[in-house]
This record gives sequence, structure tokens and C-alpha cells, in this order.
Amino acid sequence: MPPQKLRFGWLDGLILAVGLGLVGYVFYRAQFHFHYNWNWQLIPGYFVRQDAESGKWILNLLGQGFLATVRLALWSGLLAALIGGVVGVCRVARSLFLRLISRAYVELIRNIPPLVFIFIFYFFISGQIMPLLNVEDRIAAASPETLRVLAWLFGPPELLLNFLSGLICLAMFEGAYIAEIVRAGIEAVPKGQSEAARALGMHSGQVLSEIVLPQAVEKMIPPLAGQFISLIKDSSLISLISIQELTFTGTELAVSSGRVFEVWLTVAMLYFLLCFGLARLFRGVERRLSQHRQH
Amino acid sequence: MSISTIPRLRRRRWRRAFDTLAFLAVLSGLGWLIVEGAGALHYNWQWYRIPQYLYRIEDDVFYAGPLLRGLGVTLELTGWSLLLTVFFGLAAALLQRSTSWAGHAVARIYVEIVRNTPLLVQLYLVYFILAPILGLDRFVAAVLALAIFEGAFAAEIFRAGIEAIPGGQWEAGHALGLSSPKVHRFIILPQAIRLVLPPLTGLAVSLIKHSALVSVIAVADLTTEGRNLIADTFMTFELWFTVAALYLALTTSLSLLVSWLERRLPAPSAGH
Repeated sequence: MPPQKLRFGWLDGLILAVGLGLVGYVFYRAQFHFHYNWNWQLIPGYFVRQDAESGKWILNLLGQGFLATVRLALWSGLLAALIGGVVGVCRVARSLFLRLISRAYVELIRNIPPLVFIFIFYFFISGQIMPLLNVEDRIAAASPETLRVLAWLFGPPELLLNFLSGLICLAMFEGAYIAEIVRAGIEAVPKGQSEAARALGMHSGQVLSEIVLPQAVEKMIPPLAGQFISLIKDSSLISLISIQELTFTGTELAVSSGRVFEVWLTVAMLYFLLCFGLARLFRGVERRLSQHRQH
Repeated sequence: MSISTIPRLRRRRWRRAFDTLAFLAVLSGLGWLIVEGAGALHYNWQWYRIPQYLYRIEDDVFYAGPLLRGLGVTLELTGWSLLLTVFFGLAAALLQRSTSWAGHAVARIYVEIVRNTPLLVQLYLVYFILAPILGLDRFVAAVLALAIFEGAFAAEIFRAGIEAIPGGQWEAGHALGLSSPKVHRFIILPQAIRLVLPPLTGLAVSLIKHSALVSVIAVADLTTEGRNLIADTFMTFELWFTVAALYLALTTSLSLLVSWLERRLPAPSAGH
């Protein structure tokens, strides 16, 4: 059915009345039953504050948390793309062994709650893999220059170990979802393409890298962009294993300052701005690309 | 079948058997790694203590242990939120399709806000802000938060289901003199339900997974019971593996139901 023209009718009156009524009721309860006194003026000070000694402006909790979330999203996005790419190609491989392994990985992660996965996996990462890689000693032995670069890339060095554990957790978990996107993208390329390439005498690696993948990547880009936004949202879960990103610093701030309503509304707004902004950006780029392709 | 294909088939069968064995070997290798790794931490495996947390039988009477009770709460939570999810989703989908300007705006704002913020933050918003203001208890807050979140995704499922009904159905309904709401109620929705059922079951799977989050606000679901038992007994790995297996059993059986439904219910567009 074609979309109809919007107009203002009795339904609008009803919806507006009900909506305003609900919002008004919540505010009325907050003000006169819960006796909450709002104080929004404190919020900007939680982003940046002036250091009392040096007089320089430095990031406060919310600012640090936001930056950590952005860093976490970028790095784990990259790692997840790598994991997802490899596992996704294995999902459609000819070898049964690779198919079984990748299928087990994807199904296991997609069928248990992210929270449970993160709790289980965190014990392994922080307990086994990190000591195995000797990360702690390496950080302690690093020169000031390396530390500065590391701080710029990954955040404060004293939290680096923690940050890496969270990053790997998130990437392992999102990788399973990306693998499915990669598989769907590869399967969407018509079979005739790989048959034709094989008929031209290419071997299977060549067929994949030169014929199938370039076409599949084009189909993967929109769902991958969506998955990146999901990754930013899922990164809030990492706060539950004490990785100091936005939700974690939000919890800390809400408890220590007592400004529960303002802090949580601000945190939600920050996530919204980040995700909504990216969604708009991706949509714009996508439209540009499809126009470009038509010409 | 020509004679030359028989050895090839046999070779392929060998290959399959070999690959399956290799897969099993890798799995048991991983299992060994876990046991060995735990051994390095001086971890004391106590699997024999797990069954009592699942159930007890005293005098031939069955008592559910904390884990099964938690599973029950998870199911209860999922059931209530699924009901509310369908309501929110259908309302948002119908509002998006209506000619009403305000309805459009409300549905759009709802979907965009929910889709662009993390579920955990939404849960905190409901639990720390809405619940104290309105005096809701934590279970209601959890149901509400989950339903608001999944409702925005259900809206998309319903919208797609309704839009997949061929235009002729609307025209026929209108030609019979039915009003727009009546066309929806008697002609479109009954057909759309068939299309919507498989993705909606998929939504129930993700609802079960997301319900684990309510352990953050201490609703006594499966994850909470698991965390409490771990705090009491320090059997971290046994309990987490049991909890994960219970979730896995729940979600895979629902996933199987989805694929069964998808096979059973043919796409109606094929017949038109």
C-alpha cells in the first residue's frame, strides 16, 4: 500500500493528550511525591574540569568514559572484523572440519546471553591469556615514549590490562555476529560467478579473493555498519567486568555524586548522539555510494 | 553412476569422517586446556555438587533447586515481556502506518531512541529513574525495560509483515466497503501473523538472552541465582557452565522451533 499523506486528525489529538498526560504525570510524581530537585548545572563539570593545582582543563569522569567507549569500539571493531572475516570464510569453506569449528563457535556465542559469555570469558582472559602474553611486565618495562603512544591509543596505562581484556571479550563476541554477515554476503554472490572463475582455471583461493569476496564485501557493508553500532551499544556490557568505559563511569558518578537522574539521562544521551550520528552518517554514505554506482 | 565415481565417493566419505574426528579432537583439546588452565590456578573441580542446585528429591517429592527456580523466573520474565513487546511493537507499527502526524512522530521517536541506546542504560533509566518515581518493583521494572527494548525491534517485524501483504488485499477490502481499521483487523493482520510468527519466535530467543541482564538489578533470574551461588560456593566454572548450558538448551530449542515454523508456514507471496 502506498504511504498516505500525513494529516492532523482526531487521532493526533488523542495521542498528544495521552503522551503529554503520561510525561506530565511522571514529572508531577517526581516533583511532588519523590521530591527530586534537579540540578543540571553540575553536569558540564563532569565532562571537563579545571585542575586545582595546575589550572589546566582536564577530562572528568564522563569525558574519560566517553573517550574510552570510543576507543573500545574502534579497536574491538577492528579485531571483531578480523575474527568475523576468518570465521565467516570458514563457514562456507569446502573442508568439513573448518565448517564444524566455525559453526560451533558462532552457534555457541549466539545462543548464550552476552552477559554470561562475558563473565565466563573474562575469567579466562584475565586469568590465563594475559599472564601468558606477559602484558603486565611488558607495560612495566615500556619506555615513556611507548607509554605515551599507548596512552593515546588505548587510554591510561594503569588500566591497559583491564582495557585489553574487555576489548578481546567484546571482539570475540561480536566476531560471531560479523561471521554471519560475512557468510550471508558470500552466499549472496551467485554460484555462477565462482563456477565461471573455476572454469577459467583459477584455483579456489583465487576464486575467493578475486571473484567472490570483492562482490560479497559490497553486500556486507550496510549490515556491517549496523553491527558496528550494535558493538558500541554492547560495549556497555563490558562495564559489568569493571572496564572503565562510559556506563562504568556513569555508575561511579551516579553513586558518588547522588545526581542519579541527571547522570543517567546524560549517559543515555551520549550513547544516543554517538549511535544516531553514526547511523545517519552511514546512511548518507550508503546513499552517496549507490548514486555513484548508478552513473 | 559410473564406476570411476565410486572411489571418489569413498574418498569423500573418509574425508568427512576424518574432519569430524579432527573437530572432536579440537573440542577435547579445548576442554583439556580449560581443565589444565584451571589446574594451574589450583582450581578444585566439584561437579558432583552441581545437581543439588538444580533439584532435590526428598521422600519422592521433587523440589526445584535455586538454578531451576531461576530458570522459572527467566521464563516468567520472558513471557510477560513478550506479551508487552507484541503490544508495543504492534502499536508502533500501526502508528507508523497511520496517516496521523503525531502517531508517526511518537513511533519514530520511540524506535530511534531505543535502537540507539544500550539496553543496559535503558534498564538503568527504568530502574533508577522511572521505578522510584512511579513506585514500581524491580520485576515490573525489568519486564517494562525488556519490553520497551524489544518492542522497537518487533515494530520493524510487524511493519515488514504488514507491508508484505499484496496491495490487492487492501483494495478488495475497501471495495467491500470496509473501513481502514476493519481492513487491518479482518483481512491484513490475520494474514500477516503467519509471516510474522517465525521472526517473532527469533525475537523471543533474543529476549531470553537479554533477560540475563536483569541480574544487574537483582531480579532473581537464572543469571542472578548463578552469581549468588558462585559468591557462596566459589565454584565459578561449574556454575557458569551449567548456567550457560541451561540458556543454550532454552534458546536452541526455540531456534529449532523457528526453523520448523519457517518450513511449515510457506510464504504467502508465492501463491499470488
